[in-house]
Amino acid sequence: MNVLEIDNVTKRFGNLVAVRDVSLNVAQGELCAIIGPNGAGKTTFFNLISGFFPPTSGTITFDGRDITKLATHERVARGMARTFQITEIFPELTVFENVRIAAEVAGGYRLRPWINRAEAAKVAQHVEATLNLVALETKNDRLVGELAHGDQRAAEIAMALALKPHLLLLDEPTAGMGDQETFQITQLIRRLHRDSKYSIVLIEHDMRVVFHLADRICVLDQGRMLAQGTPQEIAANETVQAAYLGNAA
Amino acid sequence: MTAEPIRKLIVLAAIWIVLLLAPFWMVPLGGYTALATRVLVLGLAAMSLNFLLGFTGVLSFGHAAYFGLGAYGAGLTLKYLALSTPLAVVAGMLLGGLCGAILGMLLVRRRGVYFAMVTIAFGQVFYYIAFQWSSLTGGDDGLRGFSRQPLDLGLIKLDILTDANNFYYFVLFCFALAVGVMGFILRSPFGRTMIAIRENERRSRFLGIPVERHIWIAFTLSCFFMGFAGALYALVNNFADPRGLHYSQSGDFVMMAVMGGMRSFWGPLLGAAVFVVLQDYLSSITVNWMSFVGLLFILVVLFFPRGLLGFFQRSKA
Amino acid sequence: MMTQLLLFNVTNGLIIGAFYVLMALGLSLILNLSNVINFAHGGFLVIGGYIAYAISPYVGFWGALLLAPLLTAVIGLAVERVLIRPLYGRDPLYSLLLTFGLAFMIEDGTRFIFGPQGKPVAIPAFLAQPLSNELFFITGYRLFMVAVVFVAVALLFLLLRYTRLGVRIRAGTLDLETVAALGINVRMLRSLNFAVGIFLAGLSGVLAAGQLGLEPTMGTGLLMPSFIAIIVGGIGSLPGTLAGGLLIGVASGVTAVFFPAASEAVIYVMMAVILLTRPRGLFGEEGMMS
Repeated sequence: MNVLEIDNVTKRFGNLVAVRDVSLNVAQGELCAIIGPNGAGKTTFFNLISGFFPPTSGTITFDGRDITKLATHERVARGMARTFQITEIFPELTVFENVRIAAEVAGGYRLRPWINRAEAAKVAQHVEATLNLVALETKNDRLVGELAHGDQRAAEIAMALALKPHLLLLDEPTAGMGDQETFQITQLIRRLHRDSKYSIVLIEHDMRVVFHLADRICVLDQGRMLAQGTPQEIAANETVQAAYLGNAA
Repeated sequence: MTAEPIRKLIVLAAIWIVLLLAPFWMVPLGGYTALATRVLVLGLAAMSLNFLLGFTGVLSFGHAAYFGLGAYGAGLTLKYLALSTPLAVVAGMLLGGLCGAILGMLLVRRRGVYFAMVTIAFGQVFYYIAFQWSSLTGGDDGLRGFSRQPLDLGLIKLDILTDANNFYYFVLFCFALAVGVMGFILRSPFGRTMIAIRENERRSRFLGIPVERHIWIAFTLSCFFMGFAGALYALVNNFADPRGLHYSQSGDFVMMAVMGGMRSFWGPLLGAAVFVVLQDYLSSITVNWMSFVGLLFILVVLFFPRGLLGFFQRSKA
Repeated sequence: MMTQLLLFNVTNGLIIGAFYVLMALGLSLILNLSNVINFAHGGFLVIGGYIAYAISPYVGFWGALLLAPLLTAVIGLAVERVLIRPLYGRDPLYSLLLTFGLAFMIEDGTRFIFGPQGKPVAIPAFLAQPLSNELFFITGYRLFMVAVVFVAVALLFLLLRYTRLGVRIRAGTLDLETVAALGINVRMLRSLNFAVGIFLAGLSGVLAAGQLGLEPTMGTGLLMPSFIAIIVGGIGSLPGTLAGGLLIGVASGVTAVFFPAASEAVIYVMMAVILLTRPRGLFGEEGMMS
């Protein structure tokens, strides 16, 4: 079953066509990496999937339902969670508080003016479990704004995980990281994919990460889908090499 | 980690002791009970505004309108409908809250300066109405001809009209109710979504929070509290003033919140106390008190933006 | 008789509208580029008027017309540099509060220096004559005011379209970050933009002084209509502000014929209508909401 089906989607900004006729299917439990040179339309594509703005044409189906017209928070409610290239977190709240908000929304408590002990305990448990998954349980009372970049990203991923998503969208998760932190995050994503069986779509520039993690790679160039396939197929693809990979390992 | 809740409890107890004993320690300091009552009501208004401004991060600069509506609601109820103080207070609260609910729907799609501009303009509409509809509201002279009625508590009748202390404790009781509900909401899951929206609106949206709807709810709630405060204020002087709806009154409330500390729950109350005392003092010693108040605004913004209680805090609900 | 009354009120409306336009354009310029709601804009109008009053014995009416706005703009520059510049990175709340306090100080300050009574500002005699007996309400001065506003607005649009400063202001309004990245001195840009806005306020003050009489609170009455002109015309759009100002001025004038008491209310009604039907304003851009 495909968790995500993107069918001939185009996005126009006035005369500028940022995304042109792109189709993509993501199967359950698959990790699909989107790569391409700068300006290829990757982030716009992500914004279309997550509901930042609607496509000019084309449809997006999620878990079998058409979500093309849905607003962001509705897509999130359906099970789509996203992280951003520049970490979007609540910097002046603790790690625990950050993830708790996500957990409370996921639990359906967001409009509640009260929450009883049992419910609060359940939420706390969920938060702890999620923090364990991303290895931040020892830092749960630190202010997220004060954490190292890699930990901030892990916290953001934890927030996404707390939503109990069917699909994780990760926008350049290793952006701005040194080798150590890149390793930390890559291992985390690998665990989420292999052990927890999450379906993941990610944008990445770091080819080592891409080839290490991806089941499938999609190459975007100038708004178009240049090629799709397994890492081996993409590595061997001459058009891709010419346009993008160049001398990459 | 166990020191923190105890410290909070002590601070809370201290605040309530100070408030409960106000009529007694104010007099030796040269104050008087009615001043304390006034500070309490204006402090509640500032806290109501801060519910939106400090805790949700929404810049409403026309909020005095709902305060004024509460005052007129209470006054009109006492004058024309029924000689009941509790009814007047409830009526004022409802008037402020319902108008806020309706107008809030027009506002919530905007943000930042655009939002502020529209709230100011809306506030002025109500000022204009209060001014012009003089047959109902008394126009420029304000609404008079009503007074706070004794409270019928079953066994005893509490005279709150002539006894300043009795009135103070009545207001304190109302204050406690409002503040209790406010604090309760802020600690709830919904309250946490408000803070989330303040901290990072985009992230809130991408966590599945329907941001506009939550802002509308917060706006409406703060308008109910505002109306409640306004109703009490009408009872303070047995008078409802159109100037209470003007954007300069809104500016005063914002200044109280900023001066006391927007990120703190009790900050606006402290800010109100300082502001009221300062303004009273200045207007008694110089005819140019307006310049000094203006100067105060400027100095606080430039040098003291986190307010008095802003020093001690990192934000936590 | 009815037509004359209507004409009277429409003309009145256009004249008032012209004022709204002049004030609102200055406010809009500052708002668009720097995200600052200048609550003190009415105060600068008053300053302009009082400077004109103070210098016209020495330079005459025409000299005051040219110099007073310039001097007001200089004061505006100083204010921007010292008080507003520190606030640019911060929440717009703070600049709002600051200009608010500034408005208080200006109003009280002018009252302190010049006294609360209105002051007369002499206008050239030939302007004070009406055009004809029929059109008695179109005095030369009123035509003159409209003409000055027209010239000022035309010059403003020429400035914005053809000068380097103007192009930078327009670019900065759309994307200040990119402008900064291109190496343009954004602080200087903001200061100059502010000065232009204040110049317009000062000019309004000089014109108003000749027509309405000069007193410390005259600016506040024009502030709200300026806000509404911007909201109706569309935030972020100067042509919109122009249209908005004229529209509400004329609406106000025409309403005065039929329901004199409602002529002020009508501009609030217009604002409500716009917010309900076309929230971005007549010429506003989609996405100009925050």
